[in-house]
Amino acid sequence: MPEYTLLAVLSLPIVAALDLVVLRTRLLLTARYWLSMAIVLFFTVLVDGWLTKLDAPIVVYSAEATSGLRWPWDIPVEDFGFGISMCTLVLILWVRATPAGPVGRGGDGRPRPASGHREAGPATAG
Amino acid sequence: MPDTWQYLALMAGCLAITLPLEFFPGVRVYRDPARVAIALVPVVVVFVVWDLVGIARGHWDFNERFVTGWQLGPLPVEELVFFVVIPLCTVLTYEAVGSVLRLLRSRREGVDA
Repeated sequence: MPEYTLLAVLSLPIVAALDLVVLRTRLLLTARYWLSMAIVLFFTVLVDGWLTKLDAPIVVYSAEATSGLRWPWDIPVEDFGFGISMCTLVLILWVRATPAGPVGRGGDGRPRPASGHREAGPATAG
Repeated sequence: MPDTWQYLALMAGCLAITLPLEFFPGVRVYRDPARVAIALVPVVVVFVVWDLVGIARGHWDFNERFVTGWQLGPLPVEELVFFVVIPLCTVLTYEAVGSVLRLLRSRREGVDA
């Protein structure tokens, strides 16, 4: 398998294991995560489509290191592995990090559940 | 705008388009820089390493027509910006989705009550 293809494919189960087993953030079990990723992927196509378009590419890919599958437009499919892993990793770390500031302070510092990432999903711990 | 700014301009566009999400009810991303740092620093580190491997192994290269030429070693500055901007946009999206889901649920509960 071409190197970038291999790395992109491998990154997905690594991030999933981080979410489900290692850190147990269980983002992958929430509707909120999948809704967010659907939106992120839509914009990924626009931004990455611009970066990779073959008639004026900003990033140029090696034919050897990639599968050659480019869809949609000229996006190397490997970029979706890279992008999904990156975006999932940042969300895992984001939901693990506690929101700052005293709860209930002025402004809009209204109470926020610390485990807010579970509220929108079907996930039930335990 | 010179062509060499194109990659950076694309990143600025991403920030601009997601900025309004910060003002959805309950969303605090830019106003919680410590949490942003905790979430982003490991991502930047991991993906800069992946990028450096990709560059070193010749997986990809950058078109000098569309980048400034400012480099951090072999890494174009634009790539570092990418690894900050795209995760930020992702977190803003996730928070905004949460905000909308909360609004929908509170409305539904209001009807039920």
